[in-house]
Amino acid sequence: MGPERRPSIGLIIALAAATVYLAYHLRQILIPFGLSFALAYLANPVVNVFEARGMRRDRIVIMFYLLIAAAISMTASFLLPVVMRELSLLQTNAPGYFKRSSEYLSQVQVMVAHKLPIGQSIVEHWNLQLYTPLIEHFQKLPGYLLGLFPLLSLLFLVPFITFFFLMDSSRIMRDVIQSCPSRWVEQVLHVTTEIDTSMGSYVRSVMIESFLVGLMAFLGLYALNVNYALAIATLVGVSSFVPYAGALLGGTVACTVALFQYGTPLAFLKVALLFLAIRGVDDLLLQPILSKTSVHLHPVAYLLALMIGGEAFGFTGLILGVPAACILKTLFRVGWDFYTSEVLMRSDSPPGLRIPYV
Amino acid sequence: MLKVLRSFFSDPVFVKKKAFLKSLPLFKELGERELGYVLQAFHSRVYHEGEVLFMEGDIGRALFIIESGRVELTKLDAGGKPKQIVVLGPGDFFGEMALLEQLPRSATATAQEKSHVHLLYRSRIESLLHRHPRIGVSIMTHLAQLLSARLRRATQQLTTSDRVERDL
Repeated sequence: MGPERRPSIGLIIALAAATVYLAYHLRQILIPFGLSFALAYLANPVVNVFEARGMRRDRIVIMFYLLIAAAISMTASFLLPVVMRELSLLQTNAPGYFKRSSEYLSQVQVMVAHKLPIGQSIVEHWNLQLYTPLIEHFQKLPGYLLGLFPLLSLLFLVPFITFFFLMDSSRIMRDVIQSCPSRWVEQVLHVTTEIDTSMGSYVRSVMIESFLVGLMAFLGLYALNVNYALAIATLVGVSSFVPYAGALLGGTVACTVALFQYGTPLAFLKVALLFLAIRGVDDLLLQPILSKTSVHLHPVAYLLALMIGGEAFGFTGLILGVPAACILKTLFRVGWDFYTSEVLMRSDSPPGLRIPYV
Repeated sequence: MLKVLRSFFSDPVFVKKKAFLKSLPLFKELGERELGYVLQAFHSRVYHEGEVLFMEGDIGRALFIIESGRVELTKLDAGGKPKQIVVLGPGDFFGEMALLEQLPRSATATAQEKSHVHLLYRSRIESLLHRHPRIGVSIMTHLAQLLSARLRRATQQLTTSDRVERDL
C-alpha cells in the first residue's frame, strides 16, 4: 500500500470559506468571468462536434465567432432598442395598470366584505399581508429588469474572455494535469471531470431552457397581439433561471397587460392559458430532455438561495441565487464523493466483487 | 477550393493521434468520427523516468494507454519488496478495470523511461456510453472479451497447478 493521502476536512472547510469570502468581495470582477464560463459551456459542444472531425480548434472558434457576430449584428440592431423601448413604456404605464388593478380589487374586496360573514377580517388580512407589498413589487418589476441592462456593458468583455476559454480550455487542462504530481493525476482528473460534467450539463440546460421558454412566450404573445411581447418574453426568459418564477411572473404581467389592453376577461383567459401551456411544455417536454443530469434542490434550499441572493446582490442575486446554489451543491457532491472514495474507501461496486485488480 | 478549405481547417496532430488510436485493438472497430469523440475524452500526460503513475492501494479511476515509452508494473511480495509483474510498451493499456469499478489498485505502475501516456477517465466513458452508444458498446465488448480471456487463463493455471500437486 502506498503512503496515506488523507485530505483534512478542516483544511477543505477553511479553503471553501476563504473561496466564498474572496468571491463575495471580488463579485464585481467575477461576474464577467462567470458569464464567460457559462457561455463557453454552451458553445463548447458545438466546437467539439467539428473538432471530432479532425478540424483545428482555433480556426473553428474563429469561424464560430464570425458567424455569431454576423447573426448578432443583424438582429441586435433592431431587437435591443425594441426591448428597451417596450420596457421603458411598460415602466411608465405600470403605475396606471396597477392603479386600475387596485380599483378592480377594491370592488372585489367590498363585495367579499359584504357577502361573507367573516369578510371584513379577510379583507384586512389580505390588505396587510399580501396585497400591498405585492402591488409595490409588481410596479417595480420593469425597473428591476432595466436595472439588468448595465450588464450589457459587458457585451465586449464577456465574448473576449469566452473566446480564450473556448480556445485554451484543452491546453489549460493539459497544463494542469502535466504540472500536478504524477500520483495525483487520477484524483485531479476525477475532481475536474466530475465538476466539468455536472456543471456543464446544468449550465447548458438552464440557458437553453430559459431561451426556449422566452421564445415560446414571445411567439404566443405576438400571436395573441399583446403589447410589450418582447419585453415580457425577456422577463420570462431571464426569470426562468428561477424555477416556476418565469411563467408565474411573466404570466401575471402578461395577463394584466392583456386585461387592460382589451378590457375583456377573455383576453386575460387566453394569456393565462398560453402560460399554462408554456409551463406544461416546459415540464413535460423540455425538462425531461434537458435536465437529465441537472441538479435538484429541496424547496427550502430554493427559498434560502432566493433570500440570500436577494439580500446580498439585489434583483441580480434573486435571478442568479438558485443557479449558484445548484453549482455549490454540485461542488459539494463531487467533493463528498471524492472524500468517501479516497478516505473511507467506499466502493460503488456490488457486494461480492471486491477482487483486487491492476 | 474545397481542398484549400480542408487544409486550412485540418488538424495534423489530431489526425496523427486518431491513427494511433485506430491501431489499438480496443478501438479498431470505431469509425473516423467516433475515434474523434474518443480522442476528445482522453487526457494526455508525459511521465518522466521514475515517476509513479499510481501505487498499490490507490483508488483506480482511469485506464492508461501508452503511446511511447515503457511502464513497469510491480507488486509487493510477502516480505514487502517490490516484485516486477510486467513491463509494458507502446500500444499497451492497463488499469482497464477502473472503468468498471472504483477499487484499490493491486500493483504499482512506474515509468521506466520518458513515456507519453493517455488517460481515459471512467465518467468520460460513461458519457460516451450515453451520447454515442456504439462507441461505448464497442469498448465495453472488447473489455468483456479481455476479462473473459483472463478468467479462462486463470482457471487453466489453477487446474494445471492442482494437477501438478496431485501428481506429486
